[in-house]
Amino acid sequence: MGNIVSQSIVLPDTGRRARPMRWITRGIGILIVAIVLARAITVSIAEGYPLTFWASQLVNGLVLGGVYALVALGYTLVYGILLMINFAHGEVMMIGGVAGFFGLQLAQALGWMSGSVAQVAIALLAVMGIGMIGAMLTGVTLERIAYRPLRNAPRLVPLISAIGASLFLQYSVLLVFGVSPLVYQRPALISGGFRVGPVFIPYTGLIIFLTSLALMAALFIIVQRTRLGRAMRAVAADRDTAALMGVDVNQVITFTFLLGSALAGAAGVMLGFHNSVIKFNSGFIPGLKAFTAAVMGGIGNIPGAMVGALVLGIVESIGPSALGIPAEYKDIIAFALLVLVLIFRPQGLLGEALAEKKV
Amino acid sequence: MTTTTQRHSHSIRDGLIGFGILTYLTLIGLPARFGEAAPLVMAVVTAAIIALAVRAESRHRPPAAVVQRALIAGAICGALIAALTGIFAVLLGNGVRIQPFLDKITPPNVAAWYGLLPTAVAQGQLAALDFLRPFLAVLLGGLIGGATMVGLRRIAARNTTNEASAWRWIAIGLPFILLIAVIILGQPTVTIGGGNKGTIRLLLAMLAVSAGLFAMRAARPGREQVVVSLALLAGLAALPFLLDQFQNSVMGIVFIFVMMGLGLNIVVGYAGLLDLGYVAFFAIGAYTYAFLSAPFSSPWFSQQLAAIGLPNDQPLLSFWQAIPIVMILAAIGGILLGTPVLRLRGDYLAIVTLGFGEIIRLFMLNLADLTNGPRGLLNLAPPTLFGYNLGNPRDVFILALLGSAVIAFVAFRLERSRIGRAWVAIREDEDAAQAMGIDLARTKLMAFAIGATFAGVAGQLYAARQVNIFPDNFSLFVSIDALALIIVGGMGSIPGVVLGAIALKGLPEVLRGVDEYRIVLFAALLVVMMIARPEGLLPSERRRMELHGESEAEAEAETEPAPVPARSS
Repeated sequence: MGNIVSQSIVLPDTGRRARPMRWITRGIGILIVAIVLARAITVSIAEGYPLTFWASQLVNGLVLGGVYALVALGYTLVYGILLMINFAHGEVMMIGGVAGFFGLQLAQALGWMSGSVAQVAIALLAVMGIGMIGAMLTGVTLERIAYRPLRNAPRLVPLISAIGASLFLQYSVLLVFGVSPLVYQRPALISGGFRVGPVFIPYTGLIIFLTSLALMAALFIIVQRTRLGRAMRAVAADRDTAALMGVDVNQVITFTFLLGSALAGAAGVMLGFHNSVIKFNSGFIPGLKAFTAAVMGGIGNIPGAMVGALVLGIVESIGPSALGIPAEYKDIIAFALLVLVLIFRPQGLLGEALAEKKV
Repeated sequence: MTTTTQRHSHSIRDGLIGFGILTYLTLIGLPARFGEAAPLVMAVVTAAIIALAVRAESRHRPPAAVVQRALIAGAICGALIAALTGIFAVLLGNGVRIQPFLDKITPPNVAAWYGLLPTAVAQGQLAALDFLRPFLAVLLGGLIGGATMVGLRRIAARNTTNEASAWRWIAIGLPFILLIAVIILGQPTVTIGGGNKGTIRLLLAMLAVSAGLFAMRAARPGREQVVVSLALLAGLAALPFLLDQFQNSVMGIVFIFVMMGLGLNIVVGYAGLLDLGYVAFFAIGAYTYAFLSAPFSSPWFSQQLAAIGLPNDQPLLSFWQAIPIVMILAAIGGILLGTPVLRLRGDYLAIVTLGFGEIIRLFMLNLADLTNGPRGLLNLAPPTLFGYNLGNPRDVFILALLGSAVIAFVAFRLERSRIGRAWVAIREDEDAAQAMGIDLARTKLMAFAIGATFAGVAGQLYAARQVNIFPDNFSLFVSIDALALIIVGGMGSIPGVVLGAIALKGLPEVLRGVDEYRIVLFAALLVVMMIARPEGLLPSERRRMELHGESEAEAEAETEPAPVPARSS
């Protein structure tokens, strides 16, 4: 009811007044894109990096993007269904990494990490599974304790609760596991890398990218082809109607957190292998970046999150050298990109025009 | 039949929850903190958990059943925690080092559970009976928790007479009693508390200020409120002259955060625009004052000054001359941040402002020419008045008090002005507000600009207090602290900001021992607060009605006429 009323009041007004505004913002947006492109072209001509440099940066970007994508999917899934930002999602990823670390210790203690190729591969999958389980437990508990009681509260309330949960998880990990980072020791099988022409590709990078693709495909099948996936889409479209049609909304929400957390846990383990350390704040910045990616792709939109994440990963690794600025500014590039996307295309790259209404 | 099994499953659930919480507390090393008192503390914690768990049930079930449930829950929880600590103790006794994995599982920590010396655990000298101790402690805790809840219900049911007026006078008198206690403790001849006397005085002073806030609420509107407020103001004005240097410096930082919180309160509390990058304006204020007061610290600035022939080895402007410039720059910052995010709502706004805050901090860190990077800007001039140096903690506290008073007055007047009502309207429903003819862009930008101005002034005073400032002083945590303090105090409530600042910036100074646990404690507090009391400790009237107006009225309507004797039957 309220929705209909507010729409009928607002729509004519935005139609009348916002149009010239929209053209002005579009113009500014195009101008910014043009300036950035011009700067990138002049710098790359002036610096004269070889093509292989760009290729290896692109590889880095794709690997980073793969990790971001897995985490971004969690944000997007939860946002699509609850219309809330699970601010603690980055921490769920970090805890997945921590759980994976213990799985790895166990596997090493059992000597599986130095066995045959098949044994190591199975052990690595098991480690990732442990990380996913750890993350799933965290995510579901989080939803049960910090979000479920607030489901009908004003929007600020669950967001603040999520910020609290995020800090709580970070500093609990700091207290429980100590200040020194947990060091992932790569088994011999996946350390090193190979060369495609002159471009060096680390094995972990390749594995991350392929695993991300596989997990994303699995998620896509779950959401599009299974009964629970259909229930998820129904709840995302309209929670009340779905409940009337016999969908168990609580179950669907728990399942959503399970799926998102499992992906984040896998990302945490892979990040651990790739960066070789996990510590209490490892999830924070990647979490923010993944959120950026989810917003860039159009939050609530699953393919959008994947595209957004890959774009963000590439921009972040190519950006500093392309714009001729120090690498310390790569976080600034990511945040600036987020701000620009939100200002000039709030519905995201692949998003529907609905986004602003939903927010 | 089903109810019995149901009740048992409830007991098991409560026991498991209790076990989870106790395990967490053990993992973060709390028992070691309490040493010999650890079993007692853990029993009290269990009692609290179990009491909360049976709270709802104790309304309508016979006392014996409730106590039985508490006992079962306590037994399950105790058995599990005894098993866990037993495993740890045996492992440690056999020389296994757990610490590389679980940082806090050390002999002192585990031994505390048994009330023993660390060596007893480290050398594996535990008798079989020792293992019973954690079990019994937790079991008794659970039993006591259940019994206490039943007892409380009984007392509450019996005690229905209204003693409101007596409570009111106690509430009004309390701040003055606390203030007198502060004065008495300040006498050099009084030696209560030994080495902790200063800390106790600080705690009492903060309690006095907090009690004063409640006293203002308790006083009847009209003449009584005016008299009480004037008396409280006099007490507050006397406070800086009663406290010593350390106490004044803590109170100074508390009130600097009050200034900042009042600004954020306008943006978040009144206008409902969640800003997580608020530290940016605090930083703008601090750095602007630093550039004006210590241009010699910034390589780029001193070069420019030398180029145009101004002396670059002394402050450009005094503290007072800098205030208008700081305010203008902070307001411009607020408008610059506000303009692009005008179209965003709620969560998006939070993330974008968070991004802005981080961008500002990264710039401060990396623009080494301008900000001297991580080495910071040094030797800022303290505020002076007629040649008298106001940089000592007492005068900073006075300045912060005056600043807070001015800002609180402005905020108070703004809240009741046309623009204040427009902010509230936007917070309630943006579309409806626009339909009522409120210019969204202008109103929101006003909120950003005014909030930023206050934060800028707070930042300036902070910079003057610190003398040297570094980018790390302006991390995301300042934003989160500021946000948390207005939430804990009560969004949109001016006294709430003061209370929140005392609770979040002042209490940690008193509780130096738990500094390590500060962030965890306070993150948990945020979550609990959102679930149990989202309107804050000292809520504004409107906010409370918004958050649980109807449900509370309904709940009261349900519980009030409930027949009391029926429960005991």
